[in-house]
Amino acid sequence: MNSSWRAEILAIFRKEWRTEVRSLSGLLTALLFSVVTVYAISFAALNTKLQGTVIAGMLWVALLFSAASSLTRTFLAEEENGTADLLRLVARPHAVFWGKALFNIVQCVVTSSLLSILYLGFTSAPVPIPWLFGVSLITGCLSLAGAVTLCGAIAAQATNRSMLAAAISVPLLLPLVALGVSGMRVSLGDGSLSSGGFASVIGLIGYAVATLATGPYIYAAVWKT
Amino acid sequence: MKTILKALFALVMGVATVWSFKVPDIAYFQAPGFARIFLWHFPCPMLFTFLVITSAWFSIRVFFNPAGLKPETDAIARAEWDLRSVACMELSYLFALLTMATGILFSKVQWGDWWSWDPRQTSFLMVLLIYAAYFAVRLGYSDPSKRTAFSAAYSLLALLPALFLEFIFPYLPPIKLMSLHPTGSILQGKIKGEYAYCMILILILFVIMSIYLYKIRVRTGLIELELENNDAKLDAGRDSAPTGVVRPVSLSE
Repeated sequence: MNSSWRAEILAIFRKEWRTEVRSLSGLLTALLFSVVTVYAISFAALNTKLQGTVIAGMLWVALLFSAASSLTRTFLAEEENGTADLLRLVARPHAVFWGKALFNIVQCVVTSSLLSILYLGFTSAPVPIPWLFGVSLITGCLSLAGAVTLCGAIAAQATNRSMLAAAISVPLLLPLVALGVSGMRVSLGDGSLSSGGFASVIGLIGYAVATLATGPYIYAAVWKT
Repeated sequence: MKTILKALFALVMGVATVWSFKVPDIAYFQAPGFARIFLWHFPCPMLFTFLVITSAWFSIRVFFNPAGLKPETDAIARAEWDLRSVACMELSYLFALLTMATGILFSKVQWGDWWSWDPRQTSFLMVLLIYAAYFAVRLGYSDPSKRTAFSAAYSLLALLPALFLEFIFPYLPPIKLMSLHPTGSILQGKIKGEYAYCMILILILFVIMSIYLYKIRVRTGLIELELENNDAKLDAGRDSAPTGVVRPVSLSE
């Protein structure tokens, strides 16, 4: 990557960062959503010893809806504020995609880390394989951010953009959730590394690579429509 | 000639239907008599997969012209490739629904429940949801050029997760162990003889029917496009300034 690309991507990232810091709308919404979800799940399972698969499933469902509701905003906000055309004038599509995807990755990692800590705290679940838990979470965040960024871009110019963004990102993320649950349940002591733990992590990495590699090209194709 | 071919097709379809009830049972299935729905179930996901991949190829053509690897800039060509893509997608969704319907019947008869959360059933339902979102994208855009571009982008984005759910996820070791769905029955030689011939005949008939339906859909779509283009030209004609010289007229005379 030459310096002009790096500068352009970082400029987009900084723009997103400053916009977020100014309003904190995306981060606060995602955090509030996560805390309420964790509290609701923990309350629903009061005094019940949950299995690793159930804990992983609920955590990933919370992550899925948190990502679908907050990460799509990076592109939707541009159209709502009328700044999308300005962005088209000053930046190249690949740089815009990467800048926004990077910002979404950071936001997703922050939100999902806090959500996981809260969730594990509330449910008092042991984590026998912490590295697998961490790897599943990080690779899951990479995949979530890549796919949701692109879904946001696809829905951004539609008339019902917010609903459409959620409607198209949730089905696309279902395979990711299946992989995430499969990996995380092993880290929570339900199953062994050879019975799906490694395969899930490889699947998550593959999903992340596929979405982040094809994403800029697909975005560039619809960029000036 | 066309009428004769259509009549012949209807006749062969009738023969295939009767044959699918007459072929001898194979003991491979739990309820062999009712398992005949497999003969109609099997071609559906095959055609679904083929049509989804074809639709993705047409979506690539919406954006790129392979001759010289140039971006496609001609709006009419883009609209035509989009039409081909959506025709394939509509047909593929029809086959996906048939796959699901015949699969649910098979599930009830063989495994005792309409829906038994079998990994193959579940992953195919996810595929159905992914492609339902394609039609949501199309409905979300009223401007034809945006609809073309964004739905083509979604079609490309959806292909990898769909193929993963169809061909990789159900075959992962822990998932495969949980599945009741028969796997590799044809390759392992469990479906053979008259049963296999009947299945191949139905597959061929489905392919012919798909080509016919695809051609009708594209033809009607092209007529619609031509009408829209003519309307646009007429509208443009109405809005333009009248030709000729306009002479100033003195009001005092």
